[in-house]
Amino acid sequence: MLEVHLDSWLREFGPRAKEKVDADSVEHLLDALEERYPGLRFKLRDETGQLRKYVRVFVDGQDISGTTGPATPLAGARTIDILHSIAGG
Amino acid sequence: MAANEKIRILVGTRKGTYVVEGDTKRKTWKVGPVAHTGNEVYHVVADPRHPGDLYAAVNNQFWGPEVQRSRDWGKHWKEIGTPLTPVRKDRPSPFDDSSPAAAVKRAVTNLWHIEPGLASEPDTLYLGADPHLIFRSSDLGSTWDPIDAINNHPAKKDWAPGFGGACLHTILIDPRDARRLYIGLSAVGTFRSEDGGQTWKPTNKGVEAPFLPNKFPETGQCVHDVAADAADPDTFYRQDHGGMYVSHDRMEKWVRIGKSLGDDFGFTVASPPSAPGKAYFVRLDGQARVTGEGHFQVHEWNDNTRKWRKLLGPKAFPGHFGVQREGIATDNLSPPGIYVGTTTGQLIVSPDAGKTWRLIPFSFPSIHSVSVANPGRR
Repeated sequence: MLEVHLDSWLREFGPRAKEKVDADSVEHLLDALEERYPGLRFKLRDETGQLRKYVRVFVDGQDISGTTGPATPLAGARTIDILHSIAGG
Repeated sequence: MAANEKIRILVGTRKGTYVVEGDTKRKTWKVGPVAHTGNEVYHVVADPRHPGDLYAAVNNQFWGPEVQRSRDWGKHWKEIGTPLTPVRKDRPSPFDDSSPAAAVKRAVTNLWHIEPGLASEPDTLYLGADPHLIFRSSDLGSTWDPIDAINNHPAKKDWAPGFGGACLHTILIDPRDARRLYIGLSAVGTFRSEDGGQTWKPTNKGVEAPFLPNKFPETGQCVHDVAADAADPDTFYRQDHGGMYVSHDRMEKWVRIGKSLGDDFGFTVASPPSAPGKAYFVRLDGQARVTGEGHFQVHEWNDNTRKWRKLLGPKAFPGHFGVQREGIATDNLSPPGIYVGTTTGQLIVSPDAGKTWRLIPFSFPSIHSVSVANPGRR
């Protein structure tokens, strides 16, 4: 079972504390989160399924953007952090 | 809710929505509710059919676009239905995958303009978005139907964006006939529909596209803003990348009126109901994109005399001011009030058709849009 942490800005739409989720890929993890918390729909991913530009997903501390993205397998993973990137001004 | 006794200036900024409240004398103003702090707000508009209802096109740079509504003049806001460009089963797609437009299918990036329907259609809203999308809602924004004739237009793959994106930013409804619609898209031009959006005709004849090899194409003009003349719904005033224009025949042809000004570049135009034949433009330097005379200026076009008039002298507000496409608005009082928001956060107001001007004593974030919630009902 994976332990998922969302940053404070995302708690408006999703779980307020750590969430336990069972999933075999980042994509399926996001599907499961959106199923539980419909307010997360289209906030993390746009309607084509792509992660939004300033959303970062870390699997055991590793940023998946620029690697395998949402297809990243989660076999053996323990923690997921979903954060917004530092951007703006 | 009772009819609106106040006049409110609705300001969409790079960092949120601001409601500025005043009375009908338009002498004193107070910055009221502030919302959507930190979000890009491209447009805020009042629904005169339902006093108290405001709509905002909120573009959160992290979490995507949202249509938000307030039912209490901006004190509280809530996301309502937001039309996305879906390929998911739980949202109908505005694109037919077999159409040429599918080649440009991508997520909705920004919402640009919300237009309430006529009083005869009390639950209708229109929404313009990037990439070159228009939607209609028949339930005040809970759900949205794509207007396929534009969203799936066969030429769409050839439509270019402007610097602000592939925005559909102008939606106008003929007050005599809710089925006659006009839209403006960057950098595509204007279109008219006579059948509620089922079919559209390009309406850019006479408008120059100085950035294209063919200077007068059927489409490809970069229209920036269009205002209808309230007294004559067949007359329109157009601020285009290629200059300032007027049409007297439902956009069948356009006549350039700005050449005598020299550089007639700009982004925005407004025409007040109480001053038929008058249109207000903010002329900008075509390269610098700020007021080129070294001070703030609004130009009044009188379509009856076909003459221009400058409304400000050089000493009123010295400096270089940028004004974006929704950056000017007029109210429905007489004489008309004129409201201009700048990219450096000034809100400059005239309560008397440009005779006097004052700066609202508040520094806003960079202003994207200004509109007015008029007193009373429509």
